[in-house]
Amino acid sequence: MSTIELQHLTKAFGDLIAVDNVSLKVEENEVLCLLGPSGCGKTTTLRMVAGLEVATSGDIFIGNKNVNNLETRDRNLAMAFQFYALYPSLTVAENLANPLFAENLSSEEVKKKILEVADILQLRDIVNRKPHQLAEGEKQRVAVGRAIIRDPECFLFDEPLSRLDVQLREQMRGQIKEVLSDLKKATVIVTHDQLEALTMATKIAVMRDGLIEQVSSPHDIFAKPNNTFVAGFIGTPQMNILDCNIIEINSSIIKLKILEQEVQIDFITPLNVNKNDSYFIGIRPRSFELVDNNASDNFSGKVDLIENMGSEILVHIKINEFTFRSVQSRSKNLNVGDIINLKPKKGQVHIFNKNGEVIRNE
Amino acid sequence: MKKYEKKAIGQSGWLWTSLASFVAFIYFFPVLFIILTAFRSRSDTLATPPKWFFTPTFENFYHIFFRSMANSTEYVATGFHMYFFNSIYISGMSVLLALLIGTLAAYGFSRHPLKGNDTYLFIILTTRMLPPIIVIVPIFLIFRITGLAGTYTGIILMYTAFNLPFSIWMMKSFFDELNTEIEDASRMDGASESSVFFGVCIPQVKAGLAATSVFALILTWNEFLFSLLLTNKLTRTMPPAMARTIGGEINVDYGLLAAMICLFIIPIFLITYLLQNQLLRGVTFGTIKK
Repeated sequence: MSTIELQHLTKAFGDLIAVDNVSLKVEENEVLCLLGPSGCGKTTTLRMVAGLEVATSGDIFIGNKNVNNLETRDRNLAMAFQFYALYPSLTVAENLANPLFAENLSSEEVKKKILEVADILQLRDIVNRKPHQLAEGEKQRVAVGRAIIRDPECFLFDEPLSRLDVQLREQMRGQIKEVLSDLKKATVIVTHDQLEALTMATKIAVMRDGLIEQVSSPHDIFAKPNNTFVAGFIGTPQMNILDCNIIEINSSIIKLKILEQEVQIDFITPLNVNKNDSYFIGIRPRSFELVDNNASDNFSGKVDLIENMGSEILVHIKINEFTFRSVQSRSKNLNVGDIINLKPKKGQVHIFNKNGEVIRNE
Repeated sequence: MKKYEKKAIGQSGWLWTSLASFVAFIYFFPVLFIILTAFRSRSDTLATPPKWFFTPTFENFYHIFFRSMANSTEYVATGFHMYFFNSIYISGMSVLLALLIGTLAAYGFSRHPLKGNDTYLFIILTTRMLPPIIVIVPIFLIFRITGLAGTYTGIILMYTAFNLPFSIWMMKSFFDELNTEIEDASRMDGASESSVFFGVCIPQVKAGLAATSVFALILTWNEFLFSLLLTNKLTRTMPPAMARTIGGEINVDYGLLAAMICLFIIPIFLITYLLQNQLLRGVTFGTIKK
């Protein structure tokens, strides 16, 4: 059974706690993305799974077997590294063959496997080249190839696409996803790129300062963030998170005071909130509708700045010295200085308490 | 049309090239003078002003190995070939040992740092801050008591210790520059710690090994003081042997000395020449983007 399970995993470097009591489970055929800003402990977590780093406390199970005291080479894992880690003096074929040495295969079998992997990753033409003669994308494919050539229990990827340019990254994302879905193993991918996580993962774990903030499916992590950190971290452009005060509660319809404006928002279901308390409200830039008239259910503000994003524009709206952002279609013909009215889309407004935790009535 | 006088960046004209050549010539002149002296006959050597055109002779080179002693006219072997061998053997062995121990230690310091790693490294470096003359008396006594004085083992160990701090520091900087991901990758591929070291790290620091061994070799090859005090008639190396040839006599045989120097610089010149590509890579290591 190809599974990875972490129980209360902690890693301290002196006083610094890099990974704090992390518990996770990756099932067979599941791709878990560890997502977070740099220095949040995601790579350290991965390295502990690989056995390259020794955990301070906690347990690691691979295929339901406790591997705490096993050496890296005995854990039966494969890993692709951020900087590819190709042996500079060996050719692509020799690099691919390296993981097979421990398996005592005949040279024909090794050759067969190399060609198999070379076919999957389109490396056929470059098997005799050395790493320094390869383009960045080719190096990356060789690194993936070296990971998948064996039949290990699980796969680990450390920032696999971070060194590629945007176009290549898009292409490789699809390719890796395809390869991974064919392998049907538990896979952990570490990344700081949310797009990478949202597209490749079946499950995302968002990390901050060594703690797991939320583990959910890619859709849920975007649509139902558990706290302001996840809400702000996932999604581009970033979610608008504003202070608000509750003025009036009428079942699911709540009247809020936001940026000195009173706005009435329908939350669909009643929420467990108190009148006159302050909260955070989160609205994504794409969750606004442009409306003609200023009404009780919309914001009104002055266009301060317009950023071009191709087919869309990012509008900075200024209300009483505060700025928030909204994405609108180019066809709306907005100009700096216009007064516009924006209505939050129904069901796309998030409300958080002052500790940053979401308030949700399911 | 006005001639375009400004030169492209990165180009130097003949003026600078000839100026640089002139400075280089000043540096090289003493060596040239010694080489010429080695081929002069005794009377030409002492001529003032120096004779620039003379009939070359190999007399001096012959006299290194066979010479008439005292008042006798008979030519006897001087045993100089033995000193030559001693120099090669002793510096070769001690450089090898220092390289072996130094590389292992450097790998340890780089990959498995001790608590207070930097302090250890600094202490190692401090051993090279003092001039050797300060420690020569205690070392001489230790060698006398332990019976190491005058033996190959003694002087080889001495030079190994002498070369170690430098080897450790130099090799550590090479190991520090390596991408540790490659080592991790080979661990994932099933390599043991020893095959990570020998199979992955060592091949990547070849340039470092070359550079370290050449620098250590030059230091050892030219070392005079320890050899003078810690070797005997049979284990003596070239520098004190040469000093004995010129010292003590009223008339120094400059021709003979020059010939010895010529022989003395050949091995080190050859090795440096052969390893120059590696040396350049070694010296510029880390300055180029990986």
